[in-house]
Amino acid sequence: MVDRIFAGLLLAVTLGYGWLAFAVIRAPFQYDPLGPESWPRILSVLAAICLAGILWKPDVERFDTRGGTWLRLAAIVALLIGYAGLYEPLGFVLATLLFGTVAARLLGATLVRAGAFGLATGVLGYLLCAGLLDLNLPEGPLPRL
Amino acid sequence: METVLSGLATGFAVALTPLNILLVLFGCFSGTLIGALPGIGPINGVAILLPIAYGLGLPPESALILLAGIYYGAEYGGRISSILLNVPGDAGAVMTTLDGHPMALKGEAGRALSLSAVASFVGGTLAVIGLSLFGPLLAKFAVTFSPADYVALMVFAFASLASLVGRNGIKTLLGAVIGLMLATMGIDANTGVPRYTFGIPDLLAGIDFLVVVIGLFGMAELLHLVEQQVSGRLRTLPVDRSFLRRADLLRTRWTILRCSVIGFFIGILPGTGASVASAVAYGTEKRLAGKSGDSFGTGDLRGLAAPEAANNAAAGGALVPMLTLGIPGSGTTAILLGALLMFNVQPGPLMFTQRPEIAWGLIASMYLGNVALLIINLPLVGLFARMLTLPQHYLTPLIAMLAFVGVYSIVGNPFDLYLIILLGIFGWVLRKLDFSLAPVILGFVLGSLFENNLRRALSISAGDWGILIEDWKSIALYGLAVLVVILPAWAGRRSARAAADAVED
Repeated sequence: MVDRIFAGLLLAVTLGYGWLAFAVIRAPFQYDPLGPESWPRILSVLAAICLAGILWKPDVERFDTRGGTWLRLAAIVALLIGYAGLYEPLGFVLATLLFGTVAARLLGATLVRAGAFGLATGVLGYLLCAGLLDLNLPEGPLPRL
Repeated sequence: METVLSGLATGFAVALTPLNILLVLFGCFSGTLIGALPGIGPINGVAILLPIAYGLGLPPESALILLAGIYYGAEYGGRISSILLNVPGDAGAVMTTLDGHPMALKGEAGRALSLSAVASFVGGTLAVIGLSLFGPLLAKFAVTFSPADYVALMVFAFASLASLVGRNGIKTLLGAVIGLMLATMGIDANTGVPRYTFGIPDLLAGIDFLVVVIGLFGMAELLHLVEQQVSGRLRTLPVDRSFLRRADLLRTRWTILRCSVIGFFIGILPGTGASVASAVAYGTEKRLAGKSGDSFGTGDLRGLAAPEAANNAAAGGALVPMLTLGIPGSGTTAILLGALLMFNVQPGPLMFTQRPEIAWGLIASMYLGNVALLIINLPLVGLFARMLTLPQHYLTPLIAMLAFVGVYSIVGNPFDLYLIILLGIFGWVLRKLDFSLAPVILGFVLGSLFENNLRRALSISAGDWGILIEDWKSIALYGLAVLVVILPAWAGRRSARAAADAVED
């Protein structure tokens, strides 16, 4: 069942992709026999054939993921989105401190250890990546190293 | 032969500079550490560390030496979690658990670890020797390839991928097509027409390779780890004092040699890497062992040595098509290929002559790396084994942190942070539905190469599709593509019928 749902969704995307390839993408002028639209056309047809095969003969019935696990996955995705959103405004150190603490706590560390872990990844991670390896990381409100 | 020797001389001149020696050692060491982490295999390790290696500002050959070290180091380290924990780091290490873990249960963990280290060393080293011999030959031949031949080669690559990787050929093929479709986003280089950018300026240059790799292999792996996380720690067996005996080596020497050869040649096949090689090697050895093969699966030395020799040999073999044809032999080499492209180095037949320091430098560094791996693995295995006890609740946030650092510091765009999360969810769903992710990245990396060669071929022929089957090389490659699809299906049906007959008797 999930196989069919997923294949159906992908088929919708593929149809959209194919429609763009067949009806919209066009070079204003070209000398070559194949334009920018030819390759996507071939791909959309191939993908549609594969998807039809999966819709015809699906092999995964259901996700064997239980309720609690879904919740934990949703929470970690929400945390990641939050981390991405705070990355530039708060800077690497603070955002990582927050994310590391909350994520470790969520996944089962005790509060104290999670806090220590968050602090360590934020500060040590910054010193290692921005200081030693000279990578470009957002600084946020904290003073420059 | 002369080209090989002079090539190796060039290579060692590159590999023996202090910086590169250091990078080999560091790559092998950290690769083993990463490979030993339960659930994280070579492909995830290379994916997560790729942007950091890129960000260090190393010259391309040094960066490649480092990444390749992480790659085969992780292939080495994967056996540790397979043997002690019964959790393979990736598909290539699955077969190692079959006999490795029973040995550890019998109190022979040290013996299993040391034997597999030696098997890995032999497999890895034979593969590098094969790479030095076959690489230049194949490159010399491949120089004569026309665009039409490249199209045929690509069809062959995807055919062998669909028939040998994963359980469902249609899904593997669809995965590759998804990768190819993702690669069409952005401005078409030939005409300047934007495709599938939906007016979003961030997409004009297409989706960055790093973003796809980190999304599919870093973030999806992270979600997978969160899902799999069991309450409490996994039970690790201790490394005991048992060690490899002389008799063990004598008993397994032919197994190791045979499986190294099998692994190397399967690794060369475009698209198929360590997982296929180790499965085939294990099956072959079991069949060859005849009656005594019944002990396979209960801690047989040969059953442990076979997949370990094969998967390390395959890791080297997979580099052959990547370096000589620009067509990666596995998911991880697809990432290495993408890394080279980021340095504006186009791997292909001309690399051996035009950029010998990269091709030969890498090969020479792999000789050193294999020796280094054997030396650090025999005494330090206890240290690596401690990685197994790193709790998941620290590992998961660490992966996220590394992924974010990588994407932000190289691509430098907060939009991409959301994109990797999205791709991670997509990759996780694909995995849940039994798709393998390696074909997606292969399709993504090969997308523009495939399209450009097709367009070039048709420009040469002024639109006549007949050019695709004009040359004997193309026809031979299409023939191989058909064979690689038919043979496994035929063999599968035959063994199914044999099994059915056996039941009737």
